[in-house]
Parts: sequence; structure tokens; C-alpha cells
Amino acid sequence: MAVATPLERDLIQYTVRRLLIAFPSVFGVLIIVFLMVRLAPGDPAVFMAGEFAPPATIEAMRTRFGLDRPYHVQFGLYVGALVQGDLGRSTRTQRLVLDDLRQFFPNTLELAFGAMVIAMLVGIPAGVIAALRQNTWTDLLVTVGSLIGVSMPVFWFGLVAMLYFSVQLGWLPVAGRGTLAHLVLPAVSLGLGSMAIIARMTRSSMLEVLGLDYVRTARAKGLRQMRVVTKHALRNALIPVVTVGGLQFGQLLSGAVLTETVFAWPGIGRLLVDSIRARDYPVVQGSVLLIAITFIFINIAVDLLYGFIDPRIRYE
Amino acid sequence: MSDPQIPDPVVSEVASAQRSDTRSQAPRWIRRMRRSPVAIAGFTIIGFFLLVVAFAPFLAPYSPLRQTLRSRYVPPMEGVSLRGPEGQLGIWVRDVNRSSAGELSVGEEAYPVRLFVRGERWTWLGGLLTSDRKLFGVDGPVRFYLLGTDEQGRDMLSRIIHGAWISLSIGLITVAIGIFIGVPIGALSGYFAGTTDLIVQRLIDTMLAFPGILLAIVLVATLGTGLTNVMIAVGIAAIPVYARLVRASVLSVREREYVEAARALGRRRVSTLVRHVMPNVLAPIIVQSSLQMAVAILFAAGLGFLGLGARPPQPEWGLMLSRGRDFLATAPHVATFPGLAIVFVVVGFNLVGDALRDALDPRL
Repeated sequence: MAVATPLERDLIQYTVRRLLIAFPSVFGVLIIVFLMVRLAPGDPAVFMAGEFAPPATIEAMRTRFGLDRPYHVQFGLYVGALVQGDLGRSTRTQRLVLDDLRQFFPNTLELAFGAMVIAMLVGIPAGVIAALRQNTWTDLLVTVGSLIGVSMPVFWFGLVAMLYFSVQLGWLPVAGRGTLAHLVLPAVSLGLGSMAIIARMTRSSMLEVLGLDYVRTARAKGLRQMRVVTKHALRNALIPVVTVGGLQFGQLLSGAVLTETVFAWPGIGRLLVDSIRARDYPVVQGSVLLIAITFIFINIAVDLLYGFIDPRIRYE
Repeated sequence: MSDPQIPDPVVSEVASAQRSDTRSQAPRWIRRMRRSPVAIAGFTIIGFFLLVVAFAPFLAPYSPLRQTLRSRYVPPMEGVSLRGPEGQLGIWVRDVNRSSAGELSVGEEAYPVRLFVRGERWTWLGGLLTSDRKLFGVDGPVRFYLLGTDEQGRDMLSRIIHGAWISLSIGLITVAIGIFIGVPIGALSGYFAGTTDLIVQRLIDTMLAFPGILLAIVLVATLGTGLTNVMIAVGIAAIPVYARLVRASVLSVREREYVEAARALGRRRVSTLVRHVMPNVLAPIIVQSSLQMAVAILFAAGLGFLGLGARPPQPEWGLMLSRGRDFLATAPHVATFPGLAIVFVVVGFNLVGDALRDALDPRL
């Protein structure tokens, strides 16, 4: 193996430190998910076994999770089971929670990824155009559009889009998952808020960069506008946009709860909502845990990526 | 003595400063707000929203809860014409009936819509106000459904108007919880630093590990569903946002000279924090509160939509919208109008938040 350069050493050190800082958050998330069942009004043994479970099963849950013992013992048992991949069984379907998560989580990632792609494909060009035509009607249009984008409930936009594009025009399927056409409407409605935020961010970042000396130099050299924008300005203007985009990806995971319910998308968000309604606590705990921990690690990845695309940033 | 012909530069400077002081009493940020079209638009929307909340039973033509099963899913403006029987101008309404087979039929007789008509009796402010006057209504035995009716034959407009109060209270309670708990936590954590700060920061990190609406969902799953629990849940979800914001601001203000001066003069630490640090942290708190109102209204509507918030028959906008989902093709208005109401109010608070940020902190 080649000797690590100082930069690589910094990067590795920073990664390790960042992971260590994340540890208390993961621990905190575990505590919150653990307490969810214990603090809810009612008997946790019943929650874990299901409302209509026979008394013997409820008692088995009580012994298994030590529900008659102090909280720290219970927490130990909970984490112990978790480490072995035991998230319990759904009280509704009796399926292993881990199997449920394995089945539904990739669908949510697919949706979130689609939403992110659409948000970037529309948001970045919109922001660039608005910045290049600052204080014109185009700029106003993008600004107002992004204001409405962040102010619109995703589920409402989803319903309205479904009404026009699926029910009235019949262009796209109404709900469910399958072909690429199924992905369009859910991904657009989920990505709308991020699209607005990315457009805003690109616009302000672009405006800042366009005023800098090196852009003026590029223009003075006689380069064409297109080249100045794409080769010189955009490259630097996109750095904060990538960060915001990365953080938005995490937000999309929670937005998916609403979008998946609207479009009957078989993802983890819909699973979570259905389980809360059915008081299926093992599944609720499993889904919440998975979303929160994924979010923590996405944020770390964004942090590291930030330094990677902008060499001016030093890992300290 | 100086020559009276030549003005003393110092004296004239002071005099002009005093003049400009008396001319503009308002602080600079208020003057900036007055000139900002964004602020004017935002405050107009919020003003309208507050008027609707304040005069809801007078503005709403009918009770938000009264069901009329023979007028289920009446489309907006059904049976309404702008010409009377003899061709006179005005709004004229005919009776609309839905048969048990689901067919809509429109009656023969048309009745005019008038201002300040007598309608259902209402009491307001816990019995303080009681009247049967409505801003507008039909002068006759039929009903005027401007925005149509829902699955129980309830007037959509009346429900949206009464739902405004729910949205406003969700927003206010959320912001209040965020401020009363989040601000002190953030201030103490930022000002005293050390171990307290470290522990508080890890707690906040944990809360922020639940993205967006997820923390509120977790809390609702624990506390149980219902409007009150939604308010508490969305409020608790706002705590880390305020705490982090205030901590960052306190950290930047803490090292300023005037704070050091206050400390050097022997002021106690808590008193320095309250008297010298906090006033300079107010601006971001005010900005955040306007934006937080918008977020809270969106979150609560989302929880209502998911069936985890307000319960039927409460006229909560998110819940109303979700009821419209099943009949989207035949009665799209049931899902459309509550959504428009949400967008309208949220845009208002976002505009005011943006304008406040521009006015209070021109650097951003």
C-alpha cells in the first residue's frame, strides 16, 4: 500500500473524528426510539405483542425485553437484540421487522433519488438563469416560483398533479410502483421543495461568484458568456449548492412519508404511517431508527464531500 | 468667540444629527420594511388571515360542522347564476339536490345573495358576542356554496374559514414552545460553554437527527394522535431549531467589547447575558419565528393529512384535504381549496420572514 499523503491523512483523521461525533447522536436516537414505546400511555408488553395477542405472548414479551426490570436493563436488552439484527416482529403481519425494512427501504431510496435528480436538473439551471438575468421578469418568476415551492404542502401538490396528469389527461399512472412512469409524479412532488431551495441557493451563490475578479478577467479575455458561466462561474457557485443538495437528500427521506402515502408508493414512509395508525410499535421503531441513522450518515457524507469538491477547505 | 457668519462644523453636525433623529423616530429596520414590497405583500396576506380568524363566524355563511346529506359533493358555484329571473344583475342561487342515486338536480326558483343577511345564530369569544348576522348569504330557503361542499354536505368555504383559527393556533403554540424552551437552552449553552454546552449540543444533535417532519411524527406516535398532541409535537420539534440558532448568535455576541466591558464592570454573568447579550440575539429569533410559523402550519397539515392530527369533524385544512383524496376525480374541489388556503398562509409567513431577515440583517 502506498504511503498516505498528508491530505489523505487529514481526510482519514477527519472521517474518524466525524464518525466519533456521530456516535452520541446514534446513541441518542436509540434512546428516543427505545423510550417511544415505554412513554406511550399503555402497557409496552401489549404494544410489542399486539393488542389482540394472547396473554401468554404478552407475558413472553415482558420477560424477553425485561419490561418489569429497570430501564437501563431494558435498554441493554434492547440494544443487545438490535446488534444481532433482531428488531422484533410486526404485530400486524407477524413478519420480521428487518424483512419489512429490507423490502421497503430500497423503494424509498429510489423515490428520494429520483426526487433529487429532478430537483437538481430543474433547480440549478433555474437559479443560474435567474442570476444571469438579475432583476428581470425571469428572475422574478424563479424567485416567486421558489417561494411557492417551499410553501406548498407536498401532499397537496401530489394530489393536484395526480388529478391533472393521471386522472384527467391520463398521461401517467395514478399510483403504485413499477415502471419509470410511476416514478415521475411522486418524484416531482417530493422534489419540489428541494428544487425551490436549490434554485434559491444557486441564484445567490451565482450572483456572488459573477461579481468576483476572476470572472471579470475571463470576460475581459473575450471568452463567450456560455463559457464564462459554465467553465468559470458555475464550478465555484455549485460548491454550496452541492452541500445544500446533500442535506436536502436527508430531508427527502422524511418528506417521503407524505408523498408515499399520496401515491401508494410501497416505501418505508408509508410503512411507518400505516404502522403508527395500527399501533404496530415494532415496525414504527424499526422504520424510525433506520431513517434517523441513514440521515446521520448522509450528513457525514455531505461533510466529507464538501471538502472533496472544494480543496480550499482544510480538514481541521 | 467665533465669527457668527462661519458655522461651527461640530455644532452644525450635532444639530443636523439631532434634526435627522427627530425626523425619523422609527428604527432603520422598520423603515426598510415599509419600503419593501416583499414585506407589504407578506403583511397583507397575514393581515387578511388574521381578519378571517377574528371574524370567522360572521364571514362564514354556515356552520363548519352542519351536515346536509342531500347536498354531498356539490361542485363550487353549482346552481349559481349572475342574472336573476328577470335578467337583473347580482348573484342568484337555486336549490341543489343530490338524489340517493348520486344525480345532481338544480331547482327552479332562484334567490338573491345579499350582504348582512340573517343566518344561523352564532356565539363567539366564549359567548361574548352573539348574533345571527352574516357578511353574506342567500335571502331565501336555499344555500349558497361558493366553494362547493364536502362528503358530508358541509360548506367548504365555512370550513376553511373556521379552519384558519386552527392553523393560527398551531403556529402560535409551536413558536411559543420553541421560544420559551429553545431560546433559554440555546442562550445558556452558548454563553456558559463547557460541559453544559457539550451535553446540550449532543441532545440537540439527537433531536436534529430526525429529519423534517419525522421528529413530530415520532412524538405523535408516542403521545397519541389528536390536535393537542400535534401542537405539542410540532412545538417540541421546533426547540432544537431555536436552541441551535440562539447558541450560534450568543457565541458570536459573547466576545464583543461591550459584553466584556459589562463583565469588567462587575456585572453578574446572568445579568450580562440578559441585559447585554440577548437584545442582540433578538433579530434572528424574530426572523426564525415567522419562518417557523410557516413550517408549523405545513407540518400540522401534513400530520392531519396522514390521519395523525386533527380528528373529524374538526375543520383542519390538512385533514379536509385528505378527505378529498378518495373522490379526486369526481369532486376535485374538496382537495383543492384547503390546499390553496395552506399555500396562501404559508407564503405570507415566508414572505414576512424573508423581509424581516433582509431588514434586520442586511449582510445576509
